Formats: sequence, C-alpha cells, structure tokens
Amino acid sequence: MEKQLIRDFEKSFENSNLDSKKINFKKEFLNKFIKEGLPGKNLENWKYSDLSKIIKTEIGDLSFYNNISPPNKIDSSMYLSGFEHNSIVFINGRAEKIDLQFEEKDKVKISEDFELEKTSSNINSLVNLNNAFTEKNFVLTVKENYSFKKPLVIYHYTNKKIKSQNLNLRLNFELEKNTSLKLIDILDDFSEKNFINTFYNFKLNQDAILKNYKVDIKNNSNIKYSFTNIEQDKNSLSETFILSSGSAFNKNEINCNLNGNYSSAFVNGILSLNKKKHHEIRTSVNHLTESTKSYQLIKSVLENNARAVYQGKIFVSSDAQKTDGYQLSKAILLEDTTEFNAKPELEIYADDVKCSHGSASGSLNENSIFYIMSRGLNYKEAKELLINGFLLDVINKITDEEIKNLIKSMIGLKE
Amino acid sequence: MLKINNLKAKVGEKSILNDFSLDIKPGEVHAIMGPNGSGKSTLSNILSGKKGYDVSGEIKFEGIDLFSLETEERAHKGIFLAFQYPLEIPGVNTNIFLKTSLNAIRKARGEKELDALEFLKLVKQKSKELKFDEEKLNRQLNVGFSGGEKKKNEILQMSILNPKLSILDETDSGLDIDALKTVAQGVNALRKKNNSFLIITHYQRLLDYIKPDHVHVLMNGKITKSGGPELALELEKKGYEGLN
Repeated sequence: MEKQLIRDFEKSFENSNLDSKKINFKKEFLNKFIKEGLPGKNLENWKYSDLSKIIKTEIGDLSFYNNISPPNKIDSSMYLSGFEHNSIVFINGRAEKIDLQFEEKDKVKISEDFELEKTSSNINSLVNLNNAFTEKNFVLTVKENYSFKKPLVIYHYTNKKIKSQNLNLRLNFELEKNTSLKLIDILDDFSEKNFINTFYNFKLNQDAILKNYKVDIKNNSNIKYSFTNIEQDKNSLSETFILSSGSAFNKNEINCNLNGNYSSAFVNGILSLNKKKHHEIRTSVNHLTESTKSYQLIKSVLENNARAVYQGKIFVSSDAQKTDGYQLSKAILLEDTTEFNAKPELEIYADDVKCSHGSASGSLNENSIFYIMSRGLNYKEAKELLINGFLLDVINKITDEEIKNLIKSMIGLKE
Repeated sequence: MLKINNLKAKVGEKSILNDFSLDIKPGEVHAIMGPNGSGKSTLSNILSGKKGYDVSGEIKFEGIDLFSLETEERAHKGIFLAFQYPLEIPGVNTNIFLKTSLNAIRKARGEKELDALEFLKLVKQKSKELKFDEEKLNRQLNVGFSGGEKKKNEILQMSILNPKLSILDETDSGLDIDALKTVAQGVNALRKKNNSFLIITHYQRLLDYIKPDHVHVLMNGKITKSGGPELALELEKKGYEGLN
C-alpha cells in the first residue's frame, strides 16, 4: 500500500495550486498514515469493527488517486421533493452545485480554500489520510445572529466514474454567535466497493444551534467512515441524529467537546441492519466545564447476519461540576445470526454530577406478539408494530417536526 | 358456541389440563373458579392460540376446529381474551392500536373498515360508557397505566371489538370496587342473546355484579363440580378444600 500511496499522492498534487509549504504539510500526514496504516482490531477503538480486515476482504488493495475531472450531470431527480430546502450536491467528493436560494447572501459564506490552521491533527490515522488527500477544505460560515430559514441538505452522491477506491471529503462549518443551522446529510451511492472517508468539523460559537441529521438508507456495497468533531461554546446546542442502514459497512464517530457553560449535546441514532451489514456508532462526549448537558439514545434492529456496535463514552473533567450526562442503547436481535456489541463508558473526575448509562439487548417479546395477535393482527404485522414502536421512540427525539416527518416517511415508520 | 371435549394440555412432561370438557351456548355466561395452579390461565391461553402447549382433545367454536386457526384468525372469528396481565407496548399509540385492531378484524370478516372519524365517534362513546379517561388513549398502549387502568383498557377493547366469545382471565384481580363495577357494567352492556362469556376468577366478588348462568370449579386440570350461581357462594363460604 505504501508505494501506491506515495505514487497517488504525487499524482494528486502534481498539478495542484497548493504551494510547496502546504504540500509538505500534507506529506507529513501521509507519512503518519503510512506509519499507522488502516486501523484494525489491535486498537481499542476498532476492536469490534476491524476496518483493515474488512477493507482487505471487501475491496482488496486501495488506490487513492481520485481524478474527479469528468463532469457529472445533475438532474431534479437527485433532490428530495415536496420539501423546501437549500442544497449542496457533492458527486464523487466534489462540490458540483451549491444552491442557497432561501438564504440572505451576505449572511452565509462558503469557501473551498485549503487552510493550514483549519487542519486538525493527531485524531486518528483515517483523519490523517483525509488530511493528506483532501485538496480543498469546504468551509461554510453562518454569520452572527443569522438563522437559516430552510434546512440545508447535503447530497453525497457517488457514481461509477470514481477512479480510485478511496474517497476523502472534508467539511467545515462555523456557526458564529447566535446562529442556527439545520443540516441533513443524505448519502446516496451508485458506486460499488469504495472506501469513503468523511471528516466533519463543526464550530459552534455562543448561543449557536446545530441540528445535523445523517441519513444512510440506500443499500450499497461501500465502506464508510465518518468522523464528526463538534466544538461548543457557551449556551450552544447540538443535535445529531444518525440513521444508519444502507451501506455494507458504516462507522460514525462523534466527538463532542462541551467547552462552554450551559452547552448541550444530543446524539440519537438508529442502526437498522440486515444482510451481513456491519455498522458502528462511537461517541465521545466530553464535558469540559460546568453546567453542561448531554443525552444519547441509540437503538438497533438487526436481522440476517447483521452486526451493530455502539461505543458510547461520557467524559467529565474535574472542572465540569453540575454535568448532566445520559446514554442508553437498546437492540432487538431478530435472528440468532445477528450480533450487537455495546461498550458504554463513563469517565468522571468531578463529584457533583448526574450521569447514567444503560444497555439492553434481546429478541422481541413473544408475549407482546401474542397480545397483539389476539387482537386480530397476524405475526408479521405484530412484529412490525413492535419494531415500529421501538424505533419511533428515537425518531420522536428529533426536535424539528418537518424533518421528523421526512425521516419517518423515508423509513416507512407510522405514528 | 364453544364446545370443549376431553381437552388435555401439557407443558413438557407436566400435565395441566386433563379431560376438560365444557359447553357454552350463545348468550350464556360461564364462570370458572379454581385455586392457584388449577389450569385457569392455561385454558384461556389455549383458547386464544398461545404457543407452547401440547394439546389433544377437541375444541369447536361455532362448529370450527379451533386448533386449525391461528391466534389472529380466532380474533377474526370473534374470540376475545382480556389478559390477566395486559402487556405494555412502547411506541404504539393506544388509539391507533385499537383502530388497527378493529379494522383488521372487520377486514377479515369482509366488513367495511372504519375511517378515522367513525372510529373516533365509537371510541368516544365506549370510553364514556366505561368511564375510561380519553386522554389515556393518546398514550402508548398500557405504558405507565396503573393495574386498574390496564384492566379497564382490556374491557374497552372488548366493547369496541364486540366479540362473540369474551374470555376474562382474572380481570377482577387487583381492581378496587369502583373499577370492578365498571368492568361488570362493560360486560353486562355486551350481554346479548348471541354474546357469550367465560369468566375466570379466584373470587366470587365479581359474580355479585355479573350474574353467571353456570359456575364450574376447576381443580387439578378438570372440572370437579358444576352448578348455578349458588355454587360460587358456597365456594366463598367453604373454600375449595371443603367442596368435596
């Protein structure tokens, strides 16, 4: 892999506009990645999802040079209908179309320049890979005191024109003071057997509100990793919702730093998996100052050899008195070929805190099925009703009514 | 309406019902009384088609072999079981569940399904009759309901589904006297020439309000004595041990 990496790296940047300082900077990340390689079972974080092995079995050797020059057509069928929204369309990692028609032009700034200071280092080897190969840093800034009037949908399309097996995408968002943004990420894949590595970085200044909904429901054979870093100042709020269902493999890692008093973070998610899919949500919510709050609810429904993992960590520093931290994961295993691994962790250094965690997994309750059937519904309907109810609980945590209904209809949940 | 002949039921090697026979005619109310472990709940489970029992013998409901029907098909034919311990079903709205249930049964019978408005009218009327707090219908099914509310909810479901044969499995246990009267009122309102009831109970108390046509004593898996309402009173005085 080393030779391929160096070759593809040189090819990627030989005609680039980046100056040699920036390229050398990227080279450092490349060297770090070469040294560490793809993460595997030997690392605690990857114990339940051996990415190195999964990539080897599902894709084989990776190539990294992504010549994205062939243009891609965009047509109206690519957009969600019946739902007013702003949109950004990424196709094979390139921003093809940006449409912020509902917003005031001078309140939102978009740039794609690569800036050294916006690069986070030493998070993990996949972020290093991302830093090495992303030529652009997509940055969206919401200016002070501005609230997005309509949600922003980012469409992440891939198609068969991808030349490499690996795709890296880097997205930065800065929400200035007293702003709000509702962001929906829709993953829609027409490519096969690619490793897609996305890095999101959110900076929430005082009183900012971010609601981010990540939706992966289309069946595809891609392997995905996304790392989301959220930095939160005083009185800011982040709501992250993950609907993870479509890809062969998907690991969503959320790192949230509650740096300011009265900031709060909500992470809710559904892993609904069948056909040998293997998905993971790993969270690390760090309470770093007084009076901050976090809440996590993850539910999984598994069938047909599927495997789900939830590693949820709440960290409370010694300065973070009056922390309120909560997390719960529940899984329904519909068949005994399925597997659910949960690793809830609390690491607490302050003494005046309220923290709890819980995890439960099991099959559907046969007595509940009997009860429902005795009221005239057949076995399949009874089962669906119970699963529907189980998942609805998470969907109901979505605080935006319009988006809640959108997501409900996407997965066919009934009230 | 319901004819049980020589019903035997076992769980593993353990025999629970033994040569149990019973004949319920349209419009009749039968009460089965028996001590703990006599097989009362097994009987109601088997009538509703719960899995997990080895059974032999014969049960006919309106001439149809009950063993050939799945649980939901028995509901479609008009059998209703009010559970001893109604299940909590998180995430399922009570109102919507009731409507889904009623329409599943109507559909199976080839009747027109009720629309939201028609259903609302029906459920309002029935809740009022049974003094069931309508606000609870917007909650998740039985979740956070008290023991008495759960039982009343069973009776509400019964009156909405209007079954031919209602089996009440210890519906009276855990009810205060007011709730007991309401439950009895719900049963009595459904008592018609074609609706039958099988009331399974420990105590005679409920039978003060629902007058049965026949009372049976179930011990060790078979009926040891049958009689009229006076048998229940006798039981109350003498206890099961003193009956022989």
